[in-house]
Amino acid sequence: MSRKEKKGKEGMKRRDFLKVLGVVGGTAAVAGSCSEPVEQIIPYVIPPENVIPGVPKFYATTCRECSSGCGLVVKTREGRAIKVEGNPKNPINMGKTCAVGQASLQGLYNPDRVRSPLVYNPENQRFEAIGWQRGEEILTEKLNSLGSGKIVYLSNDVSGTYSKFVAEFLKPLRGKHYVYETFSHEPIRKANSIVFGRDEIPSYRIDKADYLLSFGADYLETWLSTVSNSIGYSKLRDIDHGKTGQIVHIEPRSGMTASNADTWIAAKPGTEQYLALGIANVMISKGLNKVAPGPIAKMVSGYAPEKVAALTDVSADTIEKIARDFTASKSLAIGGGTANTGSNATETMVAVNILNYLAGNIGKTVDFSDPLSISDANTFGDIKGLVEEIRSGKVEILIVHNVNPVFTLPGELKVAEALEKVPFVVSLSPFLDETSEKAHLVLPESTSFESWGDYSPKKSITGITQPVMRPVFNTKSAGDTLISVSKNVEALKNTFAGKKYYDYLRSAWKKRAAVISPGMGFEKFWENLVTEGSVTTTPAPVEVVLSSGIGSVSFSDPQFRGEGSFHLIAYPSYRFLDGRGANKPWLQELPEALTTSVWDSWLEINPAVAAKMGLEDGSYVKVDIPGGSFEVQVFVYEGIRSDTIAVPLGQGHTSYGRYAKGRGVNPFALLPAATDALSGGLSLLSTKANVSSLRKRDLLVRTQYTKSQGDRHVAKTIALAELGHNGAHHGSEHSKHPDFYPEKEYSKYRWGMAIDLNKCTGCGACVAACSAENNIPFVGKKQIAKRREMNWIRIERFFEKNSDGSLDVRFLPMLCQQCGNAPCEPVCPVFATYHNHEGLNGMIYNRCVGTRYCANNCTYKVRRFNWYTYKFPEPLNWQLNPDVTVRSKGVMEKCTFCVQRINHGKDLAKDEGRLLRDREVLTACEQACPSDAIVFGNLIDDKTRASVLSEDERGYKVLEVVNTKPAITYLKKVKQERV
Amino acid sequence: MSQTQQTPLTYARITEDVVRMVDKPSKKWWALFIPTVMLVGLGVTCFFYQVAEGLGVAGYRHPVFWGVYITDFVFWVGIAHSGTLISAILYLFRARFRMSIYRIAEAMTVFAVLTAGLFPIIHLGRPWNFLWLIPYPNSRELWINFKSPLVWDVFAVSTYLTVSSVFFLVGMIPDIAAIRDKVKETPRKIIYSILSFGWKGSNREWLHYTRAYLYFAALATPLVLSVHSVVSWDFAMGNVPGWHTTIFPPYFVAGAIFSGLAMVITLTIPIRKIFHLEDYITLDNYDGMAKLIILTSCIVGYAYAAEFFMAWYSGSPYEWGQFVYRATGEYAFFYWVMVICNCFVPIVLWWEKVRKNIKALFVISILINIGMWFERFNIIVISLSRDFEPGAWGIYKISFVEAGITIGSFAWFFMFFLLFVKTLPAVSIAEMKEILPVPKKGG
Repeated sequence: MSRKEKKGKEGMKRRDFLKVLGVVGGTAAVAGSCSEPVEQIIPYVIPPENVIPGVPKFYATTCRECSSGCGLVVKTREGRAIKVEGNPKNPINMGKTCAVGQASLQGLYNPDRVRSPLVYNPENQRFEAIGWQRGEEILTEKLNSLGSGKIVYLSNDVSGTYSKFVAEFLKPLRGKHYVYETFSHEPIRKANSIVFGRDEIPSYRIDKADYLLSFGADYLETWLSTVSNSIGYSKLRDIDHGKTGQIVHIEPRSGMTASNADTWIAAKPGTEQYLALGIANVMISKGLNKVAPGPIAKMVSGYAPEKVAALTDVSADTIEKIARDFTASKSLAIGGGTANTGSNATETMVAVNILNYLAGNIGKTVDFSDPLSISDANTFGDIKGLVEEIRSGKVEILIVHNVNPVFTLPGELKVAEALEKVPFVVSLSPFLDETSEKAHLVLPESTSFESWGDYSPKKSITGITQPVMRPVFNTKSAGDTLISVSKNVEALKNTFAGKKYYDYLRSAWKKRAAVISPGMGFEKFWENLVTEGSVTTTPAPVEVVLSSGIGSVSFSDPQFRGEGSFHLIAYPSYRFLDGRGANKPWLQELPEALTTSVWDSWLEINPAVAAKMGLEDGSYVKVDIPGGSFEVQVFVYEGIRSDTIAVPLGQGHTSYGRYAKGRGVNPFALLPAATDALSGGLSLLSTKANVSSLRKRDLLVRTQYTKSQGDRHVAKTIALAELGHNGAHHGSEHSKHPDFYPEKEYSKYRWGMAIDLNKCTGCGACVAACSAENNIPFVGKKQIAKRREMNWIRIERFFEKNSDGSLDVRFLPMLCQQCGNAPCEPVCPVFATYHNHEGLNGMIYNRCVGTRYCANNCTYKVRRFNWYTYKFPEPLNWQLNPDVTVRSKGVMEKCTFCVQRINHGKDLAKDEGRLLRDREVLTACEQACPSDAIVFGNLIDDKTRASVLSEDERGYKVLEVVNTKPAITYLKKVKQERV
Repeated sequence: MSQTQQTPLTYARITEDVVRMVDKPSKKWWALFIPTVMLVGLGVTCFFYQVAEGLGVAGYRHPVFWGVYITDFVFWVGIAHSGTLISAILYLFRARFRMSIYRIAEAMTVFAVLTAGLFPIIHLGRPWNFLWLIPYPNSRELWINFKSPLVWDVFAVSTYLTVSSVFFLVGMIPDIAAIRDKVKETPRKIIYSILSFGWKGSNREWLHYTRAYLYFAALATPLVLSVHSVVSWDFAMGNVPGWHTTIFPPYFVAGAIFSGLAMVITLTIPIRKIFHLEDYITLDNYDGMAKLIILTSCIVGYAYAAEFFMAWYSGSPYEWGQFVYRATGEYAFFYWVMVICNCFVPIVLWWEKVRKNIKALFVISILINIGMWFERFNIIVISLSRDFEPGAWGIYKISFVEAGITIGSFAWFFMFFLLFVKTLPAVSIAEMKEILPVPKKGG
């Protein structure tokens, strides 16, 4: 680095110096008037119809962030989408959302979106902005001059009308549509095809199960439909007369999902199939099976528990216990996740299917009548074949739509290199990701919030997507683009009747409407559809029988490449999925549940190994796998086997906007294109790795550095056996101590909350929802390294030990407790924080001078200070909630139970001359929470759900000893006897 | 000057010596003063940079919302204390060893309060709104919260500044009059005339003056105890483990006197050397101060032990956890610096030889100043780093801006002090003459 550069980097820049100088002089001159420039409010000159300023409008639509297809309701104010909520009428998510869904608006308003069509200029190697007319002309020309080569349309899962539309578009051009989903669960499909003769993914009904046996399926993170799974999880966790469901999770590492199970079993990587077969063996040999085993008996006969114990590191007793419990209740076995993508993944899934079959779960908790649309995605094997075709120059035109194969396909396939062989690549993606960057033409698509469409995540449901606002940038929906182009393409001239994709969509629905509700009339049907957001049908039940081909399956040991001493698990992140979420600051800044890490990648490593290698949290290591090596910081974690290391997927972008680029590592780039032998699915647990210390250490940026709660007992548990037995005990935690001061009195409302730790999974949906609702800024990695994250609600995570020494992970959502006896209130010299007549600790931002005494005195440390004036780069600021003040530097802020929602609700109630009803106002965190762990309500009325839960025998207040009288009651997590 | 040193102290020499001190500044003085002003400039620049950018440029972080600025505040308020102790309380007790040093101590008090008073404003998130901490009538009927110890602070510090300034100025009247009579340049003469309030030295004037001085001393005395008690309530009224304890007021007052005495020693030793005041500020004077240091050191040491004992005895995991953490956690180095400087270093003062060894005293006094700064730092920062909620624990790191402002505050204090020794009588002429033995008739 030259001297000049160095000066610019480390010292004060000339510009900064001048700024300081100006401020010194300026402030001295106008001391006391350091205010921001005055902003003008410009009224509508001609007010648009149907828009009342200050009154929100809601639009039903469908979330397209992953293939779950949750229903959404988008709140718009003055023509801008400001918040998404789950659509309560959608049977998939029933009003709930995940963090990714909450952050979807940051995709809409992402400052790094492609703002107009771009064409690649090979001369200066840059993209140049062009108009739509020119952009479409270029594509038209290429389509007209299509030679003998192929045209390929590569997209994500677009099941519904659009996939038919693409088929129609491609037919005259003799093109082919590939549906590429990074995680398309091929082994599940293949195993179903082998065992039941059905090449599809059924609906797994966790909500109907009492005993969930998961072979690595990260059902709370990325496995199939996570919100739906979380709702099922919540149901399973319900406690009824001292009884509750049980979850056993088998995986070499304890991810968020495994950490929420009652028992986590760390089987040897790749040996889950033997474990399942061993359980099946016990079922049959003990006569526990509910269905005649048929050919299965012979298949599992060689897997006696003792033998399996030696293969898997799981004791024979445990295997027997699982077999008994599994057959004793309404059970469900599921499999998947990274741990089950090895070379024998399909065999593992066959074994899992056997368990479900023997326990009689088919048709009960495994529902083949309503398969998921992701079943229709192309397999990794197909995609691999496509890449080969591309490499051999057979593909003339490649249309890429909403997928990023350059990033998500294994580095071994050298996709970027292969794309060079395609004469013309056009990207319809809204972002310049690694793949779009390789395109010759980018015709940016409007996001699902700006365009018409539909999506059918599973057979029984089709959700509609509708524009909730005008496109933020100069973009067009992909359908509109293709229709517009088709008018000038010789082969396609008469393919589409209408001018817009909207017309196509409606005519497609006209046909469906006639089938679904024949009597209704289309306009009525359509109106219903766009207001309800989705249409549901009841699929006919199907008869599932054991396939005769099952006997042919032989079970083999997993194959690993390389000679390292560790198995490398590259697992999908529940925040970024396959990497598509990485450009959203809310997701980057959402602390990962177990590490609480933000904006980065890390390597999980067992403490024993770390100690041996002299590694600590934050130590840099080099991980060598056959495909190359990467450097990453270490997170020492008890929840991983000592022969295994794990790294999350989704980071390591080399492009894809300012928030994604250059953070962490992308394991995809180094992984071999290994596949599961039977299904052709991508194998993510395929390599062995060596780890070497780089002998340097830096802070691994996290939001919590404490691992155990020690003697503080803030996250409490209760044994299942103790429940119901302390009836006389009831309220011992609430026992009234004599108090020097009189109790505070509330007349109509005392807002409070109950948080069920038995249901909280630590997923962080509440955190993202809170950010979206309350205009909470994101601050970036550098500031978080200084503990300056701004989230009003944080999920505390503690690693404790069970009595048998096993890992016990506890999550504790921590937010302002709205104390009745709040330590923050008396110490504020200017009454900027005060107790209101409804029990809230109000914050008057304008009055705050920033002494920060309130935050010091806060027992729960839930107050956040604006160290700087944080900016939302245009147009991310369009998302800001106009009902909530945007704070500037020097003021304190914190959760107020979404007081703007309470006030809005009270206004409506006042119009009708009544008090607020229970559950009429939901806080943002509660509304999002997919496992229904958070319940807000009025504590004065003892019939509200919050009141009832607050009186639960599991209820306790965090740090009650300080006598802050919090309004939040936590319900202890229930500990069951471990398997 | 070497001549004057040999002659014994006479009434005339005392006046001459003091007037000589306020003579034209020497090159040496400028060599000290100019860098001092530049360092003040550094502090001011840092402050305005902080105002422009936000408090993020300081080292604060969740959960440590108070740091070096409040440490500096308590440190400077503490320094201020021994000034009033020496001038007022020791005056009432007629302790003779105070005569030569009380003026310097009083000046130190005023300047230390002037310095301390800046920090609550510097540390505010929105310092331009600091007026909101003062109860003034306004059209929006906004009022302050009298429950907040920070409001008590505003009153305590402003009262202290007022009383100590008045006491300081009143005490100087006869001496300024003496200088007024000696100086010849008109502008200086006018200024000294105003500050001497037309003092003529008549018996009547002396009668009123000594009475008034006694009353002021009596008025200032309770402030020595109250101001630092109020400052200690900033912490003791909070519920943070490590803060919330009844021992704080006496502990803080003793600590303040302890650090203040050390600062007096630190300041007087160079002045004594530079201005050749060995005949005025005698070794016996230092001996007296050192004994007081031993006493306050013992009180402070006792307080440290008592805090530990009470934390253990309370059975509260939060309190005990906090104190174990102080001694063994990430900040253990600072904790042990504090213990060694404040409890162990002063032990050597039990030997008279050390008490009368100027070099040793200078070193010890600086060590005590360091120890006492870290005492405040430890109380504030370590307590906040680990309070009740284990999920929020975190470590504070001082930033460049905070260091700049802290250095600036020392420079600010010394800048006033340098101006003081060159413009005002640093040694009390009148009181020095009082203790001089009456010259023999014809002698």
